Amino acid sequence: MEALIGFFTAQLHVGPTLALSLAYAVCIGSLLGFVTVYAMFAIWMERKVAAHMQVRFGPMETGGWHGWAQSLADAVKLLFKEDLIPRDANKVMFWMAPAVVFCGVFAGFVAIPFAVGVQIADVNLGVFFIIAIASVEVVGVIMAGWASNSKYALFGAVREAAQVVSYEVPAGVALLVPVIITGSLRLGDINGWQEAHGWLVLRNPFVIVAALIYFIASLAGCKRAPFDLPEAESELVSGFHTEYSGMRFSFFFLEEYASMFVSSLLVATLFFGGWTLPFINVSAMPVPVGIVVLLAKTFFFIFVQMWLRWTLPRLRVDQVMALGYKYLLPWGFVCVVGTAIFESQGWRWLPV
Amino acid sequence: MEALELYTVDDRADLYTEELKLNLGPQHPSTHGVLRVELKMDGEIITASRADIGYLHRCAEKIGENVSYLQFTPYTDRMDYLAACNNELAWSLTVEKLLGVEAPERAQWLRVIVCELNRIASHLIAFGTYGIDMGANTPFFYAFREREAIMALLERPSGGRMLYNYVRPGGVAHDIDEAWLPDVLAFCDEFERRWAEYNQILTTNRIFIGRTANVGVLPREMALAWGCTGPVLRGSGVKWDLRRDVPYLWPYEELEFDVPVGEGTHGTLGDCWDRYWVRMREMMESVRIIRQACQRVPSGDFMDKNLLRQYKTPLKPPRGEAYLRCENPRGELGFYVVSEGGTSPIRCRARGPSFCNLSVLDALLPGCMIADGVAIIGSLDIVLGEVDR
Repeated sequence: MEALIGFFTAQLHVGPTLALSLAYAVCIGSLLGFVTVYAMFAIWMERKVAAHMQVRFGPMETGGWHGWAQSLADAVKLLFKEDLIPRDANKVMFWMAPAVVFCGVFAGFVAIPFAVGVQIADVNLGVFFIIAIASVEVVGVIMAGWASNSKYALFGAVREAAQVVSYEVPAGVALLVPVIITGSLRLGDINGWQEAHGWLVLRNPFVIVAALIYFIASLAGCKRAPFDLPEAESELVSGFHTEYSGMRFSFFFLEEYASMFVSSLLVATLFFGGWTLPFINVSAMPVPVGIVVLLAKTFFFIFVQMWLRWTLPRLRVDQVMALGYKYLLPWGFVCVVGTAIFESQGWRWLPV
Repeated sequence: MEALELYTVDDRADLYTEELKLNLGPQHPSTHGVLRVELKMDGEIITASRADIGYLHRCAEKIGENVSYLQFTPYTDRMDYLAACNNELAWSLTVEKLLGVEAPERAQWLRVIVCELNRIASHLIAFGTYGIDMGANTPFFYAFREREAIMALLERPSGGRMLYNYVRPGGVAHDIDEAWLPDVLAFCDEFERRWAEYNQILTTNRIFIGRTANVGVLPREMALAWGCTGPVLRGSGVKWDLRRDVPYLWPYEELEFDVPVGEGTHGTLGDCWDRYWVRMREMMESVRIIRQACQRVPSGDFMDKNLLRQYKTPLKPPRGEAYLRCENPRGELGFYVVSEGGTSPIRCRARGPSFCNLSVLDALLPGCMIADGVAIIGSLDIVLGEVDR
């Protein structure tokens, strides 16, 4: 960001306000492009992963090589679809809901460090900012469910509200563990710390449990199976977006994949070393290497999310709540306390 | 039928949430066809339900009174379209009983094989769609892979993939080719391995057990009182299988097989998991039956010669009536036929297993969550083509 402002001021000889605006425009434009392209790729990947798990091939024709352009074609189709709003829907809220949902997740991308210095806003409360801004999504989902004037949509929205609010708590508690160890909420600092001291998961056994808790809770936060109750197809048809179609629907889709990316990236950054690799000094290499390492880790966790989705059945509402409050939350607290004890005593689990 | 009454605000003094009427179906992913269930919901809990059937009514029985005996065989295919051979068998045996003839020995054994193959195919659909009802999509594709093999096998003698019109009064329509029996046996070997895979991916899954155990408990007495049959009855622990208890085809008396019943493995006897597990084990019993039957198919006629000659003109059974029931994958399918000596029956009625099993739905649903409701509908394994006929 600062680099861009400097570039605009020095090269284009514009004033500071205009330079700032230009820098914002460039950053947001490139992020939007990144999210869209990523979502298309992830949807194609999901279809391929699902197909190969189900003894199928998935898309094979569109674009030639293994149907790589399938998502592109779908996006074009969705763009040209008729814009339908149910007659009795609350039009303003119905119209706003996809935007609110998408903005919540998209804002989280701002604080993500892709590599050393490759970050739009180096928020000093990065971890906190991302989980806080991502939960804005719930508001949009409730708006969608309410505005649709459909009972299935309402069921989905209420489920989503209950589920996401419940699972933010264990997720937040689990995220405290890396924060306790590194002493910083800034994502860049946490990454830098791991560069110096090794991956956080190797720090002590409690961190492994915390990583697991965060991963499970983030599955619920992204509405991914086995926690896909808000859109449970066999029960609620499509849940909160039952009445949506065309471009509006695709925003919900985009949001789901974008939040998968954010949560997987958080797992990679906070627990699995971010852009660092063991035995290799990635920081000494060109910046793109770090980005590739981080994206590779992120996509691994995205793959695990897909893997789980196409393997596991769905939990019931009460079971989801019980898992969150009876298992994940207490174990999250155990992890926080255990890590605090380990750190205060200076114990190490492994000699790293 | 009356619509369900909803509570209004003044009805109850204590704290409660307003009740909601929810239409599950007829266009819904997990009602297994065009079933509409009207639900009264208190939040996620179902407080009352009313199953509304009839969206697929095609007057099958009335058609039976207007076409000849032979012409009605393909109509029976379309009742329980997932177990076409078994329907044909029930109809053919009823007509044979009316005529007082018996199919040749070879036809009897072939009927056993195709019906058991079709039973496996039908249970595979039950298994696959139950996975989808529970949110696990992958088992469905595994099940369809094996079902495809069965359909390819049944296509060879009959020419049809789903609705065969193969078992007919007097025998079977066509003879099998040379390699058919070895291919069936090869399929059995393959299927046994696949069956173990199904259990790995779905049966033993903790989430699946958590979703189905102790859900939709149908006690033994209730199952008997409501006239449930097939895996629904056996899931409640009643060891009743017409193949064993009232062998309608004599080869069944000479075959060795078990009748799996529910044991309450993961909770209460008669829950959804028990019904599911009964179906899974029945597939293996069918494999056992097929293996034995393949060794015993004699050479000879596949169709009663006298009856075949009569086929040139419509069959005219003597005056009388006949009722015969068969063990279909979903339960007992019985046909009641009255003849007055004409070319078509003057009365033709079917006692459908799905129709009778569906009747317990309204009794099982209240008190469950909506997700359990889906689990219960799936575990009854209904085919709406046969419920509505």
